[in-house]
Amino acid sequence: MRGAAPNHRASPGSRSGAPPARPWRRRLVTGLGALYIIALWLDGVGARWLDNLLPLPARMFVQVSELFPNASPDSIEWRARAWRCDLARYEELDVRPFFPIRSDDKESRFDRAMFFYHRQGKVMAALDDYLTSANNRLHPDARIGGVMLLSLRVPIPPLGEPGPRHERLPIADYAPTVSRNYWYTTGVDARQRRCEEGAGQ
Amino acid sequence: MNRLRAWLDAPQPVERLALLRVLLPLAILGFLSSRLVHADAWLTASGFRLPDLGGDWRQPLYVPALPAWLAWTIAAAIAASGLSLAAGFATGTAGAIFALLVAFVTLADRLEAFTVSKLAPVLTLALAFAPSGARYGVDAWRRRRRAPDAPVVTRVAGGPIRFFQIFLVAMYSATGIAKARGDWLKTQVLWTHLHDEYQTRVAWLVMRALPGWSWWALQGLVLTFELGAPLWFALRWTRRPALVVGLGMHAMIGLMFGPVVWFAILMASILIACFLPEPLLLRAFRSRERAPAPRAA
Repeated sequence: MRGAAPNHRASPGSRSGAPPARPWRRRLVTGLGALYIIALWLDGVGARWLDNLLPLPARMFVQVSELFPNASPDSIEWRARAWRCDLARYEELDVRPFFPIRSDDKESRFDRAMFFYHRQGKVMAALDDYLTSANNRLHPDARIGGVMLLSLRVPIPPLGEPGPRHERLPIADYAPTVSRNYWYTTGVDARQRRCEEGAGQ
Repeated sequence: MNRLRAWLDAPQPVERLALLRVLLPLAILGFLSSRLVHADAWLTASGFRLPDLGGDWRQPLYVPALPAWLAWTIAAAIAASGLSLAAGFATGTAGAIFALLVAFVTLADRLEAFTVSKLAPVLTLALAFAPSGARYGVDAWRRRRRAPDAPVVTRVAGGPIRFFQIFLVAMYSATGIAKARGDWLKTQVLWTHLHDEYQTRVAWLVMRALPGWSWWALQGLVLTFELGAPLWFALRWTRRPALVVGLGMHAMIGLMFGPVVWFAILMASILIACFLPEPLLLRAFRSRERAPAPRAA
């Protein structure tokens, strides 16, 4: 990096025209900056011992460099089906109206909750409660008693053969080659109770 | 050690810092904008909240749902402090507030913690500690009005710029090593990530236009760039090609991976501000500005 234009005055060390920072503060900030970069790099290269050194909240801020390290065997779609109290059967539930933040892509809170916690019953139960009450508030004439939370594994086309552009399809429209994995289903008792509560209103 | 210290301390054009101060908060706000406008669905009990998972590693900190007034206040304060930082108005204070608030919302809600929001607190805190409001902003304009004869700041202490330069290279390097330890040396990875909801129209057109073998070439180029980043950016004669390849990579990511565009803009901003050749940088900033008369130090 070469020098500045000669007709401009150099004022190294100035902060907004103020005198340079005190040496101890400068050393502290430099040290913290160096530690952050070292931790970020070590986490990316797989130094798991770092996990024992950093408290969880601090660790999250250095877990930033493992970006797409692995191939996706399939494209995953997270979906929900809901038990319609009036029809006494499961139907697909479009969850997007209940998750307005980036509702159409993988950054939706529903997709994120399913991606991180699909094996964690406590989160799945919380999602069940939220979806059921949100739907019943929004559609009191089409109440639901519970949900099935599932993933679809859509095969990725061979290299060089992209196929049609990605679009969201109803679950029923996916080919039989698309596997469906059910991660959570509301218990029958809870389902009946919710439907009965609705019928009494 | 002395050479390292001299390299760290070598004064840098204030324009590098000013560019970071403007672009970084705007990229971060761009990413956060879809959350800020839905602060209630994000931070209050009216949206879906994770229950307390009692120390699960995927929930670094449990923060209960906030009352609506507080969620909207935080959202407004994030927007105001981010814009204030970008404008160079109360720069240090705005940067510190922005960093703390973004750190809080990132910890408060794991579902909305992405690479951009995890990087944002440290990067903007670095701007708050640095003399990033020394020029090209409201603070600098007000100082100039108060003291028209004061010398114009053209160069600042090198430390903050060196931090961003080393950060960027370390990020590329760690990402490259993570890829090499993953599947990138064994199988085609790029192609497999272009078939879900991140797929943009550009991605689909590019996939249709490029032959299959070219994805291996692109994958090799990305891996070579990232793994070798410390070398490419350290050597003077490879720095410019590395800048071009890096910007091309971020452009492709931004155009082909939907919402990842804000991450691509963030990284491209740091790349440009840190490594754009100085004459080009100065020309971009000072082309419309009448050069001040030389002043005695």
